[in-house]
Amino acid sequence: MRIALTTLTLSLIGLSSASAGAGGHDHLPAYAEEIFHAGPFIVTNSMLMVWIVAIFIIACAQLATRKMAMIPQGLQNFAEWLVESLYDFLEGILGKDLVKKTFWFFGSIFILILLTNWFGLIPGVGTFGWALTGPGVEAHDKFRPFLRGGNADLNMTIAMSLTFAVLWFYWAIRENGLGGFFAHIFAPKGTFNGIMKVMMFLVFGFVGVLELISIAFRPVALSFRLYGNIFAGENILENMMLLVGKYEWLAWLPPLPFYFLEILVGLVQALVYTMLTAVFLRLICEHDDHGHGHDEENSIHKKAH
Amino acid sequence: MISIFETLATAPVTDSGNVVLEITKNFKVYWPLLISQFISFAIVIFLLKKFAFGPIQKMLEERRSRIADGEAKLIEIQRQLAESEKTTAAAIAKANEEAQRMVEEAKQGAILFSEQKSQEAISQAQAILTKAEAAAKADRDRLQTELKREFGRLIAATTSQVTGKVLTDDDQRRINEEALAKVEA
Repeated sequence: MRIALTTLTLSLIGLSSASAGAGGHDHLPAYAEEIFHAGPFIVTNSMLMVWIVAIFIIACAQLATRKMAMIPQGLQNFAEWLVESLYDFLEGILGKDLVKKTFWFFGSIFILILLTNWFGLIPGVGTFGWALTGPGVEAHDKFRPFLRGGNADLNMTIAMSLTFAVLWFYWAIRENGLGGFFAHIFAPKGTFNGIMKVMMFLVFGFVGVLELISIAFRPVALSFRLYGNIFAGENILENMMLLVGKYEWLAWLPPLPFYFLEILVGLVQALVYTMLTAVFLRLICEHDDHGHGHDEENSIHKKAH
Repeated sequence: MISIFETLATAPVTDSGNVVLEITKNFKVYWPLLISQFISFAIVIFLLKKFAFGPIQKMLEERRSRIADGEAKLIEIQRQLAESEKTTAAAIAKANEEAQRMVEEAKQGAILFSEQKSQEAISQAQAILTKAEAAAKADRDRLQTELKREFGRLIAATTSQVTGKVLTDDDQRRINEEALAKVEA
């Protein structure tokens, strides 16, 4: 029954997208498109998607916590299980003290990224919209969808990564102090004497500069990784539907396996983003065993790629 | 057909190598859009913190603290129970000791009481004996006196009958004394 329903849903997804394509809908652009603007504040279709997801999360959380019981049931039980599992997972990375202060952020971005990725797969996202007419309309941009995958917008992923970068500096300086923060980056790790001490100062000074460059590029890497994976997924789904050519009634079939793949990619990308940001914070906040931390970072980087 | 390839294909290749400019153009990363997204994300994350994660985390914290309180209370109850058992054992030992001491005291008291009563009985017996002896002596003295008087009267009567003479008081006294002296001798 479940398989039949899934197949039917996916068929509808295929048909709706195909019909939209046939009706003159543009190919998926690499950027989010403006829906309206209020003064200088521009609202794009990806932003709308993020708000819808946020409202959904808040509604679920409010429903789950409306009638709190000491022995949880139903939605409360699920919400508690989800939050507690996430908390324990992040506690393993960040440690007991740090996770208390930062869970609200890491928990929020994990759920937000995950649901934004999955909501982007719902039929209608990217296919329902309106046609642009009149003068000034470009030939390749005659259709404006109401919604777009939230993370298939580089502005969104950059905004998210920059927010993390700001918070990373705040938490790092609060944990280490300003002097400790710079010492963490530039100071030699270990005890050296004589000429070795001088050499190590030079070496670790150079390493510190490299570290600063690495820190500066983290938001870029985070943004492009998430955007690239999600945008690529949406492209694959769209192009798979177009593979059938004139047999449009079969448009639902080619993307079928890719929908399952995209569900998995959505989860993996949410996990990777959350884990990487958590590890970046842990590395700057841990007070000893720096070498081990770098090894851990490298290993997580490798896993993420 | 494939939009990303089209996007890349249509992207102009610059000799200047201004990759950043290329990226911002192709992906429409412009300040107004970026700032709008930044504000939007900040609002979303704030709302999620306040209305989604806040209540659930608060509830979980409450539950954790209740469990921790319960465990602490359990430990306290166990400690109190152990202490109570210890106190009870000590009280029982003390009561045993006290009872033992009281029994000993009672035994000692009983012995003393018994001795005291024996002494009293002995004294009373002695007093009775002394009294009896005194009474016996008094009786004997009285009998002796009466006997002497009777004996004197008999002597006087006999002498008077034998001699046919009326004896004077002096005679009677003298005869009595002589007779008694002889009897006693």
